[in-house]
Amino acid sequence: MIEIRKLSRSFGNLLAVDNLDLDVGNEIFGLLGPNGAGKSTTVMMLTTLLKPSSGTAKVCGYDIVRDSKKVRSKISYVPQDMAVDRKLTGRENVLLYAKLYGIPNRNSKVEEVLKMMGLSDRASDLVATYSGGMRRRLELAQALVHEPEVLFLDEPTLGLDVNGRKKIWEHIRMLKAEGMTIFMTTHYLEEAEKYCNRVAIIDKGKMVVVGSPENLTNSIGREASLNDVFFENVKTPEEQAGFDANKFRNLLRRR
Amino acid sequence: MKAVIYYFERDLVKWLRGRITVVSSLVMPAAWLILVGLALPTKFTDNYLQFITPGILVMTTLFSSLQGGSLMIFDKMLGFLNKFLALPSPRESMLYGKILFISVRGLLQATVLLLIASLLGVRIWNPVNIILIYLTLFLFSVFFSALSTMIGLYLSDHDSYAAVNGMISMPLFFTSSALMPYEVMPAWLRTMARLNPVSYAIDSTRMLFEGGIPVYGILGLAIGAGIMVLLGTYQFRKAVV
Repeated sequence: MIEIRKLSRSFGNLLAVDNLDLDVGNEIFGLLGPNGAGKSTTVMMLTTLLKPSSGTAKVCGYDIVRDSKKVRSKISYVPQDMAVDRKLTGRENVLLYAKLYGIPNRNSKVEEVLKMMGLSDRASDLVATYSGGMRRRLELAQALVHEPEVLFLDEPTLGLDVNGRKKIWEHIRMLKAEGMTIFMTTHYLEEAEKYCNRVAIIDKGKMVVVGSPENLTNSIGREASLNDVFFENVKTPEEQAGFDANKFRNLLRRR
Repeated sequence: MKAVIYYFERDLVKWLRGRITVVSSLVMPAAWLILVGLALPTKFTDNYLQFITPGILVMTTLFSSLQGGSLMIFDKMLGFLNKFLALPSPRESMLYGKILFISVRGLLQATVLLLIASLLGVRIWNPVNIILIYLTLFLFSVFFSALSTMIGLYLSDHDSYAAVNGMISMPLFFTSSALMPYEVMPAWLRTMARLNPVSYAIDSTRMLFEGGIPVYGILGLAIGAGIMVLLGTYQFRKAVV
């Protein structure tokens, strides 16, 4: 579904994405990495919001630069910001997207996705009265109204409570079962380990490892978690500068 | 191009539900008309209200068009822009929707002004001239709302937008022919007023109030508005975040 070839993007002197190569099939794919690693930049290039500096990528067989409009008709994108109109009702928020996508029978489709996301009871209320979890589900409903082939999610569970996160993940699993490809970024590695078919870790714009959570954890050792894989592969600036946490602690104790 | 209507509808419903924003946008121009139009002592005319009504009409449209760019800024800051850009509908329809909403809002304000002005005794000639006043104000509004939305798309935070707005709106107004006729202006101001696009709209509107038809004025505004829309279309098609 997604083929990325030598994809790079720089902002001035900063190389945000550096020669990325990646293939994503029909799966739940998690893009992991520290803050500033280039996750969002990658997603924004794949969703045609940002032009690559060099390299190419194809989504559903269409080039993200030359056939960007075709790409946009095949995908949905939910950014991190929780951008839903507070002064509109839940139903109106979804209806706007149904209209913009030009969905036939849009009223029944809107009710369908609202129901799927468990928002039917509150659909006539203003979004200002919604909880964070409901707003996130409303965004998913907006994204699903045109039945995309690939769904891009940037930090879909950020800032939600345990139940809210679980619900979002159940919805993502359900969408995958219906044949949708999900490409997401996240910081919650336990969740990625549990729900993603494959993950990739990138750091400073470069691919570090890619594979299924089981394979990655097994390669580190038994009982290892995706967190261990992450710590093993991604070094903080302090560690790179030769910072030793134990020495530092002893130093503090001595004073 | 149905997307234009949908974007327009979104902004309109949000505006109408704001209530206080609606009241404020209708009270402000009325206050100008009454407090300045009836109060300012002038020597060049014995009916200053009749003279200044076109100026206040255009001023209201100008300020509301320039202020309209903040809609784009908020869409950008709050993440709506990213979602809209990822839609298959043409990106410029976002711009057209904004222009339409800002202009319709401006014309609603103008209607309130026209009603108050006629209650206060300002003569308006005939229906054709009233329609042409609306056309003039609409074209003027398209020009400046396209400009402000383009600035909104270019800038990335609300403070710098407010700064740009403040920097252009007041000088444009005070160097126009809104408050006094060219004859009583100091020479330096007269030159600036003649070059100011806001004066074009004011002079045309004033002529329409007096019963004339400003063919060149309206034509000029139409060309200006057309060029702005073309530039905006180009900018929005290229839009990336």
